[in-house]
Amino acid sequence: MRAAQYVRIWLAGARYSIVRTMMFRGDFIMWSLVEFFWMGVNLGLIGVIYQHTESIAGWGPWDMAMLVGTSLLVQRLLMGFFWTNLFEMGRNVRTGTFDFFLAQPGPVLFMVSTRKIDLDGFLNAPIALGVVIYAADQLGLTPTPLQWVTYAGMILCGLAIHYATLLFFISLVFWIQSAKGVEGGYFALNEFSRLPREALRGIASIVFVYALPLVVVTNVPAQTLRHGLEPRHGLWLAGAAALWLALAVLMFHRGLRRYTSASS
Amino acid sequence: MSLAKYRHAFVLGLQGNLVYRWNFAVRASLSLLHLAYVFILWGAAFTGQETLAGFNLSQTLTYFITILVLQFFISAMNEDYEVSEEIRNGLINQFLLKPIHYFSYRFSIFVAARLVSGSLALIPLLLALPLLWPHLEYPTDTWTYVAAVPALILSAFLQFTLAYCFGLLTFWFLEIQSFIILSLAVETMLGGQVFPLDLLPAPLYELSSYLPYYYQMYFPAALLTGRIATPEAAIQGLGIQLFWVLALYGVAQFLWLRGLRRHTAVGG
Repeated sequence: MRAAQYVRIWLAGARYSIVRTMMFRGDFIMWSLVEFFWMGVNLGLIGVIYQHTESIAGWGPWDMAMLVGTSLLVQRLLMGFFWTNLFEMGRNVRTGTFDFFLAQPGPVLFMVSTRKIDLDGFLNAPIALGVVIYAADQLGLTPTPLQWVTYAGMILCGLAIHYATLLFFISLVFWIQSAKGVEGGYFALNEFSRLPREALRGIASIVFVYALPLVVVTNVPAQTLRHGLEPRHGLWLAGAAALWLALAVLMFHRGLRRYTSASS
Repeated sequence: MSLAKYRHAFVLGLQGNLVYRWNFAVRASLSLLHLAYVFILWGAAFTGQETLAGFNLSQTLTYFITILVLQFFISAMNEDYEVSEEIRNGLINQFLLKPIHYFSYRFSIFVAARLVSGSLALIPLLLALPLLWPHLEYPTDTWTYVAAVPALILSAFLQFTLAYCFGLLTFWFLEIQSFIILSLAVETMLGGQVFPLDLLPAPLYELSSYLPYYYQMYFPAALLTGRIATPEAAIQGLGIQLFWVLALYGVAQFLWLRGLRRHTAVGG
């Protein structure tokens, strides 16, 4: 398939999602508020801690706001693009509805991952970005256009890592028939992305910085805005994204080979 | 005789919830990840200072460990969805024809569910106890524990009643999940699950102490961890907590009666 065909399929799915969302406008507003409130909870925690301390692992309040904003931005984009699709995949494999995707004229992984978009996830992404921009302003930073472009590229790498880790764990459904617990696990692990790397030591550093690059996903882009581009860190992020994508795709295709239709 | 039926509901609740023992165990294990995050964040916040708002690091970590345990023993988890599903699927009709008080029936199952989830949550916590033990610092005043007993019972009642009220909204709305998650965000913040509420600026803390969320989780946890300073403050807190329990029970009864007027039982 050519790139233009992928784009056309994605646009058709996006259009369907938007039309459907607009049919349930009240629900859309409520879910947008839900996402907004949860963002407020995360920022509220930082605000309260900094009422009583000046620094967390060397990071000041606005540095932390930038870090948390970056984490929320990646999470919002994940919610908007992939969240529903991946969790529906878990359900579909269990019920046999997954056959529907196998019968579609396109690569299975692409069809599974991009069928729907969630507008409420996207709606809060500009707010998360606004937090980052406001924090940069409060810090007196004036990032160059190159820094912003690099930041955007790093956010996409972060999105790829989140997508890949989620796909990796949900693909377990091909073996264990249920992806229950993955959602809770994702949110529990994602909390670590709101920590400064300097706060993690010992085994926590090995697990959350190197093995699962959750901390890198947010710390490297935020540091790029704070201190400029560090090529070594940029390569680390890109490498982690490539590695996790490869692992997730491999896991998905291995699982696909095991899939036997459950429908009649 | 009238209590026997709720005892049976309790036993059925125990059996039903034991089926989901692995779900609870997984959930409890994941909460240890959250605890690790809390330890790292607050450990970093305490670097270079002995106390934060008058409490040291161990006291703060003890607060979060207590909150985590209480969540599995007194929090409402799926009760709102269960009530909602019974209304939506028409399963509630059977209770309308029988001499059973629906609130008490659901509450019996809630107590059974928390007994199961609380007991299972203790397993990973006990396994992690060697790591947690050095950070545990509980108060030595007896009155805090005496006051904590009614506070815990009232908190469980408050948690359940609020969830029950949200479930009853299904009489008016087809989809209540967004209401529940929205309320959860507010409860998480104002219930002291994200940070101890006494870290809030004084006027905001004062304001929060008049809201029901304060008594859902923070109040019993604060009593157990020595964050409520005097017996007078504890008695005042228990009074406000009792008020909210009665008020929310009144709201629940009102929603039930008004909801039934809108309800249509279909089928044979």
